[in-house]
Amino acid sequence: MKTNVMPLTVASPNKRIKIISLAGGRGMQERLISMGLGPGAEIEVIRKGAPGPFIVAVGEARLAIGAGMAQKIMVSDNGMY
Amino acid sequence: MKEIIVAVAGQPNSGKSTIFNMLTGARQHVANYPGVTVEKRTGKYSYKGNTVTLVDLPGTYSLTSYSQEERIARDFLLHERPAVVLDIVDAANLERNLYLTFQLGEMGIPLVIALNMMDVAEGRGLKIDTFKLSELLRATIVATVGKKGKGGKELKEAILNTYKGGHFRMGYGDACESCGACLGISREKGHFRVDYGEKLEPILRPLEKMLSEDPKISARYPARWLAIKLMENDSEAHRLVGLL
Repeated sequence: MKTNVMPLTVASPNKRIKIISLAGGRGMQERLISMGLGPGAEIEVIRKGAPGPFIVAVGEARLAIGAGMAQKIMVSDNGMY
Repeated sequence: MKEIIVAVAGQPNSGKSTIFNMLTGARQHVANYPGVTVEKRTGKYSYKGNTVTLVDLPGTYSLTSYSQEERIARDFLLHERPAVVLDIVDAANLERNLYLTFQLGEMGIPLVIALNMMDVAEGRGLKIDTFKLSELLRATIVATVGKKGKGGKELKEAILNTYKGGHFRMGYGDACESCGACLGISREKGHFRVDYGEKLEPILRPLEKMLSEDPKISARYPARWLAIKLMENDSEAHRLVGLL
């Protein structure tokens, strides 16, 4: 199956997704990785943002991220789960 | 009597303030960093005749210059050079929390790690080999449950022992013959070091060597840390080197 890569902002909630890559500059990428949102991380969108923050589950933690950051997280939700 | 300055670092929601309060009791007060809305709390406690001052740094995911909090934490560690850094790690989110631990380790300040919320981690069925982790990170690890006040005495002992340059302890509850607080692996085995692999190390090592041979730089900043930051093209690191 072809892997479908999309920004986190359009991913369906309550579904296991995997981070494929990060867009944005070095500072933004480092920030996301330090929050546990690096390539390879398996996450789940708990709440879709815009308006308001996106809430994502990373392991047992919940992180609130703005739409701008969420737009830079490229994820895939098929072919793997 | 000499005052021991200990910086308390950790990612947001790792239970930093709980541990801070556990160690200092009711004696902490709140202060502001000048010109910033981020609080820096300091508190004191006495242990075995020593006065220890804890400086509670803002919770940060990392030590880059991404946010004001990160710059504050980093500047304090870099310029004030606390004797020991107490790193509060959320045991239930170990992988993400270790990201900051690595950066603290690279700054070359002796580390004591509080593996906090161990009850939560164990409740989720996680088993952490503190013994192995301690060996890899070259730091004393104390398992704590901050909200139940568990591990406070052990932390105080670990901080004092690390300050005195003692052996680092290999996990909760172990003791060695020579100092009674560790398993006898001495600090001489070297600081914590991340191996960046065969592609990056050939660039990193000569840079580190060059920086450590410059007396002005090596007196102020850890060469390994500076080399890594320069390689990352970190603007603050460039500025530090440019100033000298």
